[in-house]
Amino acid sequence: MFGAQTHSEPSNWRRNTSSNPKTSTATIKTIAKKTNNLSVKFQDLYSFPVEGNIDDVNVLNEVRERVRQQGKEWWALEASKGANWYLQPQLSLSGEGLTVPSKISAIASTITSAMTLKKLIRKGIPPVLRPKVWLSVSGATKKRSTVPLSYYNDLLVAIEGKVTPATMQIDHDLPRTFPCHPWLDTPEGKAALRRVLVAYSFRDSDVGYCQGLNYIAALLLLVMKTEEDAFWMLAVLLENVLVNDCYTDNLSGCHVEQRVFRDLLAKKCPRISAHLEAMEFDVSLVATEWFLCLFSKSLPSETTLRVWDVLFNEGAKVLFHVALAIFKMKEEELLRTHQIGDVIAIIQSTTHHLFDPDELLTVAFDKIGSMTANTITKQRKKQEPAVMAELDLRLRRLNSLKIDEK
Amino acid sequence: MATIGNNNLNAKLVLLGDMGAGKSSLVLRFVKGQFLEFQESTIGAAFFSQTLAVNDATVKFEIWDTAGQERYHSLAPMYYRGAAAAIIVYDISSTESFERAKKWVQELQKQGNPNMVTALAGNKADLEDKRKVSAEEAQTYAQENGLFFMETSAKTAKNVNEIFYEIARRLPRAQPAQNPAGIVLADRPAERAQTSACCS
Repeated sequence: MFGAQTHSEPSNWRRNTSSNPKTSTATIKTIAKKTNNLSVKFQDLYSFPVEGNIDDVNVLNEVRERVRQQGKEWWALEASKGANWYLQPQLSLSGEGLTVPSKISAIASTITSAMTLKKLIRKGIPPVLRPKVWLSVSGATKKRSTVPLSYYNDLLVAIEGKVTPATMQIDHDLPRTFPCHPWLDTPEGKAALRRVLVAYSFRDSDVGYCQGLNYIAALLLLVMKTEEDAFWMLAVLLENVLVNDCYTDNLSGCHVEQRVFRDLLAKKCPRISAHLEAMEFDVSLVATEWFLCLFSKSLPSETTLRVWDVLFNEGAKVLFHVALAIFKMKEEELLRTHQIGDVIAIIQSTTHHLFDPDELLTVAFDKIGSMTANTITKQRKKQEPAVMAELDLRLRRLNSLKIDEK
Repeated sequence: MATIGNNNLNAKLVLLGDMGAGKSSLVLRFVKGQFLEFQESTIGAAFFSQTLAVNDATVKFEIWDTAGQERYHSLAPMYYRGAAAAIIVYDISSTESFERAKKWVQELQKQGNPNMVTALAGNKADLEDKRKVSAEEAQTYAQENGLFFMETSAKTAKNVNEIFYEIARRLPRAQPAQNPAGIVLADRPAERAQTSACCS
């Protein structure tokens, strides 16, 4: 346990004490229920304060143990394959001086490494190795290598003292970004987050600053430890990993992803999709935040980062896998709902208590089944014109408002 | 069909306004009675529900608290579509936020449900020494545009419950019996006022 403090939640107590158990078994059940309902405050693996029940604490303790075990697996591989074996497995076809069979064997060993790595990453990257592995598999290292070493520092010098609409919005959001986190709440934490966000707003003026990036950058800082690494992860994420224009102007990329998600839900979870549609519940109502914050505002931190482990290695399709899994996990419950509020309550309580990353990822990859990046690219292409037409129509309507005004 | 004295209606309510105007803080004050100096910025939207008893009826609000940044504007129709009520929030210490509020009013007038009950909330009324928008100006604007206006403070709780009660009070009258979009007449027995909130 980690300094867990228990305190009762008044509403739950009232509910339980009002029942009047007649038999001793009922009494035991009531007590057990009371214990489960006890609200416990604790810190998770990345020092986020969490309020949950005893079960959540137990799950999180198990997860800590599994993270340790997973670490051992990574060290063992490092011992047998050499340190940094997982960094940029490249197919060096040009290998001069190599004979054909040795080329083939080099390629084969690279492919084997990539496959081992994929499996390993799905089971989780140990927190200490995350910075190194993320930078490598996401392509951030490669991206950084194309500019002078002083790039980030030069950018910081250039932005010093500048005030733009983006910097004003960033300043507004700094104290509102995970305000409960002990480090992010310090002047040092806020200053680091500010530099990363402001630097990025200058790197890409089309994105500038978009709300949501504050949460992503904050979590990147907590994982990567250095600002510069966090900055490059943010850059590779927005420029290479995610679909284009998720965060620009009118969030068109995000609109596309939402439509693709709706179609995928209909295909992969037809019963849920039909039920929600009959209730006129648009899944984007809950999924928009997931896609814009990459789950960081909904899932517990280690679970979010396990999703990010796979996201950086396998690409943006992972977001669909995870979003579908959240619905799939609660299929029966969701099918019993009749009100929008109940759907949201189920989804939110599920995500908040998903302390076991494997529970989610098993559903996401084993139960949802495979979706190739290619299929998803095709789906996006199909949706793009509709999104553009919709946004364009809206813009014209808003402009006609302005004309009326005159 | 519900009769008078057994009126339970569900009403979708949307909050719109500039970033940092205090939309989430108003909802949090209303639903949970809490106030946080630094309320996490909302992405997409957050959902809350709260039931109020007004006269002989209960109104269950399904509240969509939306993100304020300009570029999130393109998501707004999803939240105000079919809404029975809206609260457009500005910050009395920011003229920009008041201008933004006017844009929302226009948009709802054109795109929203024509029977929508719309409230204009001049929030952060506790920041009197930083005031940039006078209550008279906002009141005049509200009257001209068929809104009702209140200055609120999520921090001190001033007028927070009042604005929601006023909306609830106006709902049945604004909505004749044909069961229009955004209001669902439920024929279940009256539930006791209950709160459920789902926020980040």
